[in-house]
Amino acid sequence: MPAVQETVEQVKKIDVDQYKYGFETDIEMVKAPKGLNEDIVRFISEKKGEPAWMLDWRLDAYRRWRAMTEPTWAKVSYPKIDFEDLYYYAAPKSTEGPKSLDEVDPELLRMYERLGVPLQEQEILAGVKSDKPRVAVDAVLDSVSVVTTFKEELAKAGVIFCSISEALREHPELVKKYLGSVVPQSDNYYAALNSAVFSDGSFVYVPEGVRCPMELSTYFRINERETGQFERTLIIADKGAYVSYLEGCTAPMRDENQLHAAVVELVALDDAEIKYSTVQNWYPGDKNGKGGIYNFVTKRGDCRGRNSKISWTQVETGSAITWKYPSCILRGDNSRGEFYSIAVSNGYQQVDSGTKMIHLGKNTSSRIISKGIAAGFSQNTYRGLVSAHRKATGARNFTACDSLLIGDKCGAHTVPYIEAKNSSAHFEHEATTSKISDDMLFYCQQRGLSEEEAVALVVNGFVRDVLQQLPMEFLAETQKLIGISLEGSVG
Amino acid sequence: MDGTLPGTDGTRRDMTVQMLTTKAEQAILKTFEDNAARLPGGKSVAELRRAAIGAFASRGLPSRRVEEFKYTDLKANLREAFPLVTGGAADADTTHGALGSHFGPEFAANAVSVVDGRGTSSGGHTFLADSKAVSMDWVQAALADESLAASADLLLNTALFTDGAVIDVPAGADVADPVVIVASARDNGLAVLRHIIRVGKGAKVTLVEVERAPIAAGLRQSSAVTQISIADGAEVVHIKVVEAHKGSTHLGHWQVRLGANVSYKPFQLTLGEGLVRNGLNVDFTGQHSTLDFGGASVVHGSGHADSTLVVDHKVPHCTSRELYKTVLDGQARAVFQGKVIVQPGAQKTDGKQMAQALMLSPDAEFDSKPELEIYADDVICGHGSTAAEIDPDLVFYCTSRGIPTAIARGMLIESFIAEAIEKVEHDGLRDALIGIARDSLAA
Repeated sequence: MPAVQETVEQVKKIDVDQYKYGFETDIEMVKAPKGLNEDIVRFISEKKGEPAWMLDWRLDAYRRWRAMTEPTWAKVSYPKIDFEDLYYYAAPKSTEGPKSLDEVDPELLRMYERLGVPLQEQEILAGVKSDKPRVAVDAVLDSVSVVTTFKEELAKAGVIFCSISEALREHPELVKKYLGSVVPQSDNYYAALNSAVFSDGSFVYVPEGVRCPMELSTYFRINERETGQFERTLIIADKGAYVSYLEGCTAPMRDENQLHAAVVELVALDDAEIKYSTVQNWYPGDKNGKGGIYNFVTKRGDCRGRNSKISWTQVETGSAITWKYPSCILRGDNSRGEFYSIAVSNGYQQVDSGTKMIHLGKNTSSRIISKGIAAGFSQNTYRGLVSAHRKATGARNFTACDSLLIGDKCGAHTVPYIEAKNSSAHFEHEATTSKISDDMLFYCQQRGLSEEEAVALVVNGFVRDVLQQLPMEFLAETQKLIGISLEGSVG
Repeated sequence: MDGTLPGTDGTRRDMTVQMLTTKAEQAILKTFEDNAARLPGGKSVAELRRAAIGAFASRGLPSRRVEEFKYTDLKANLREAFPLVTGGAADADTTHGALGSHFGPEFAANAVSVVDGRGTSSGGHTFLADSKAVSMDWVQAALADESLAASADLLLNTALFTDGAVIDVPAGADVADPVVIVASARDNGLAVLRHIIRVGKGAKVTLVEVERAPIAAGLRQSSAVTQISIADGAEVVHIKVVEAHKGSTHLGHWQVRLGANVSYKPFQLTLGEGLVRNGLNVDFTGQHSTLDFGGASVVHGSGHADSTLVVDHKVPHCTSRELYKTVLDGQARAVFQGKVIVQPGAQKTDGKQMAQALMLSPDAEFDSKPELEIYADDVICGHGSTAAEIDPDLVFYCTSRGIPTAIARGMLIESFIAEAIEKVEHDGLRDALIGIARDSLAA
């Protein structure tokens, strides 16, 4: 069935030539010399005032990276990246340790205002409840964190939310314990590169039994030319803790391709829960496929403790090339992993994304809901792995990955890997609207809905499944996607 | 990205690995050198063989780093290669032994029999080793099919095939009795066969390939590639039964080309404790054709059954259906890889795939990769895959109705696998297949 008109129009609204965040901001920057060698790694480490062990860790990663070759297995194609022709460090000159918002370059604040990122801390007045939800923001521009809001209030609850550079200075023991424990330095080519040169990112530690009092958020912005952005995010939820974290990303419109190779590590201990939401809107390139961000990201969560839970939600509309698989390692018994994704590709965008659910503990469960929408000349691939190891008795998985094509010049592909290595694993994978529970359709029809109405109801309920996972603050940004119906979806 | 997606680990391919030739690979290369002069076919075939063994030598047996063999690592599993069988002991008993008791005498009477890698002359069938058959234009064209150079197991077959059936069903023919090809070979031998089949316009035929050994038989290795070209409006039912005992290996592949308005119904039954790989490539080249695939396997012990399908919708208005069911016991492992490609412009394609595993033992393993590659927007494609043990609720329901647990489980297992076998419409064949599967389930 071809896409319905409503969907076509909705997708058009977010077509590549409608990119709203493509402006450039003129800020004085400090840059490291072009290219990559051990001296650059030392330069970055020194700039950050890092301890010696951290420098060794970076150099180790750099040497491993040198010995690796670029992976080519993803269903994406792009000219070879010249890693010697990039700046690996770029920071706004005026951000040498701003104590408060007043010290931040006003040009920077204006930029974030244009992006709609709330950096002003809203005070709650006595008796008057603010109608806006409060979000603590860590704003990362090119290589450094510019400002982190609500730090003091969070500190009262015991939550540490700061840039990772600051965490390295203030809480080295925590960083040392967890950094690289989920994504090791040599995990893959881009993770190794990131480990060597990452310049900033967010660090979150939620102590035992604490429910983080507000949403945490990081806003990533690439501004400078010819730079790569390599941020590293590390989130730890200690026993019984809960945290919800959101990230957003944008970049100026440029003819050149820029590399973004981030690493995100999540650690959930016993009974802890981490909810990680992404609205990825890097510049996707123009309508002829020129320019745009290469988004090569490693995101992985480790459900290390019993009854822990990690949930990934992503809305992907940007980037020339997206290549990422937010994953869950379900190590703790009874742990749970979730992945909800909507990936919309337009123009000449290429998306190869999905997830991995690796069941290691007993009675672990996972759920994957992925909706891909391809339009224009884009290629949209879902690639996912669900595996239950020998000792992961009672593992459960449900996967539904649907895709929709708009126009006959694009492609939608599904590459699921399902590995059940013990008999008590219970895996279900499905990929068509017609396969969505016949019982549900029957129930609706029995109550007087026509078959089409029943399908529409079920399908819309399905999409909402993904959208409802997004925190309220990001819902506005993704509302344009809500109208998209998936009646004409193919597996 | 996370670096360790299956078979695609960027980090581990970094090191320049000096390809080491395994004992089996060395034996295969030597087998070719020893037998090249005696293998059938004229000069052009000899050239094809030489090119194939050259390509095989540079690639080696596929390891799990080769995406298509990710779950069936031939390099690791094939420890040695047996000597090539090139004819000799022809004996009617082996054919009967391979058919077994479930196929009625009518199937054996007219069987195209290949023993020890050579067709037996009785019955007036045509074989590839016959110089007249191999020099026919359409046979030559089939042998030169470049898609058979795609993977090392097929290259091996091209280099070494000793014989095979050549079947030409004329246009409009309605062949009433199934054409049964029975292959058997002596123990500790490597049999390599190539069957070439052409079905003319509007013809109807049922083809059956049987590759089984008597229970008491020893180890065997076999490779069988069947190429079929089906002309417009033809209806073909194509069935294969493979039983491999522990330590035996069978590498099968069907390369199928469908014209317009064709109905093609392949069914493959795999049994035993050996290593079996069944490849099936179907190319839709004419509109309004239908593929209806059924696959079933019952695997025991350390058995390994792999079904790998590539269905290529090159033209609009075609339908493909695949249903694969497997029952796994012991440390058995089943693999289902189904790839459906919808090429640009192949609008109104309707493709569905389902792979289901019933795991009877805690150590069984099922690996499934149902893949879709779609470049057209007005299509319906879907896939499903499930893996689970027997639903205790169903067993409880049966026992609450007075059926003993063991029988209830047996009923549930049989009904699970029978759903795929029931796709076979020919009564005699279906009964034979169910009988064979039942024997295997009872084993």
